[in-house]
Amino acid sequence: MSKGIIIFAQNNEYVNYAETACACAGFARKNLSLFDEICLITNTETFEQNETLINEYFDRIIVTDSFQPTNTRLFKDTADKTEYASFKNMSRSEVYELSPYDETLVIDGDYFIMNNVLDQVWDSDNDVMINYKYRDVSGRHKEHIEYIDNFSIPMYWATVVYFKKSDYAENLFTLVSHIKHNYKYYYYLYNCSGNLYRNDFAFSMALHILNGSVAFDVPALPFTYLNNSFDIDDIFRVNSHNDIIMYCADAERITEHILSRFTNTDLHIMNKKAIARFIDDFLLHGEKVNE
Amino acid sequence: MTDITKEDGVIQPSDEDLQRLEKALDFSNTMKTFNLSKNNLKVKTQNLLSYSTAGGSFSVDQSLISFMNFVVSSGKTEISLLDKNDIPIRIEDTEKFLEEVSSLYFEVVNDYYNEYQQLRSSRKIEKVLEI
Repeated sequence: MSKGIIIFAQNNEYVNYAETACACAGFARKNLSLFDEICLITNTETFEQNETLINEYFDRIIVTDSFQPTNTRLFKDTADKTEYASFKNMSRSEVYELSPYDETLVIDGDYFIMNNVLDQVWDSDNDVMINYKYRDVSGRHKEHIEYIDNFSIPMYWATVVYFKKSDYAENLFTLVSHIKHNYKYYYYLYNCSGNLYRNDFAFSMALHILNGSVAFDVPALPFTYLNNSFDIDDIFRVNSHNDIIMYCADAERITEHILSRFTNTDLHIMNKKAIARFIDDFLLHGEKVNE
Repeated sequence: MTDITKEDGVIQPSDEDLQRLEKALDFSNTMKTFNLSKNNLKVKTQNLLSYSTAGGSFSVDQSLISFMNFVVSSGKTEISLLDKNDIPIRIEDTEKFLEEVSSLYFEVVNDYYNEYQQLRSSRKIEKVLEI
């Protein structure tokens, strides 16, 4: 059974996603050992802009130029700086077809693996594993579950998804793709909040439909909580491949920050500009192909 | 509180009271940092206390270890066990399973203990973060 980690990256005018994806790949390679390959799915433009770097960090590159409808998102770099930019996140539904592996672990290009817990996903009995329980590193969100809306279904985080080639996974991705192409309808049907197309929402709806549109449980990944650092947090220092100090936005006053150190624990760092500021450190501490 | 004076109906705290108050508020900042770091350590520990085998994933805790200890003591070498997703998983070597979950538990909780002690013993965040 082939086992691969897949990361998506498509640059926009705001972030060089290819660089952050390389940083994530470097951390995954350094901290995990039971996979066969790390693969990047990107578009021609992004690949051509970053070819040398991408080849250093990825075993395999898949270039696809599928149509990306306009999706605009507000990017934050702490609470002070905000900017609207295009957000090219709609290829995720194609990963089932694009993945050359029997077992695939898809991670976001801002998810930094800093321990070996995700080595446990391989050879799982489950066809799909995804989490809805999360933790906010700043402790602002007291609940561990987010809902698509207060009156809707729980939100599963598409940040880290495991699947194996199977009927269940194939049907799931078919539904995600269908929801993507008919998003307005499902957006109203599920009472979504915000205008942005979110993979988290599309996966949550698809899982809900696939499980008979009733309350359901989808097997969770081996870790209990997805460890989220939101875009109002910042990075203080990257010490090593498993040690990062963060500025965590104060729960009461989000413009103020509290320092906290994260060792040996995965981190989903949503502040893209913060990653960009420390990109050299991230790349330095990660591991390249054949290192 | 003996030095409190009343002027125009407003209670005026003494300098000493103000100093105490400032100290208490300073301490609350320290506690905020301490609590955040403690919670982050707790979450890390929960995430690390995961053990996967035979296609299932288990959250390792004292009750799993106690139950497995009972299983092994009862002479059962092979059992079906519900994993964290409530999926039944066949454990073919209960003794090995117990040994592995126990050693994972001891290792992870011992690290938690050490890091927590370091956090507790140091009032200065600079020391804990080594900055």
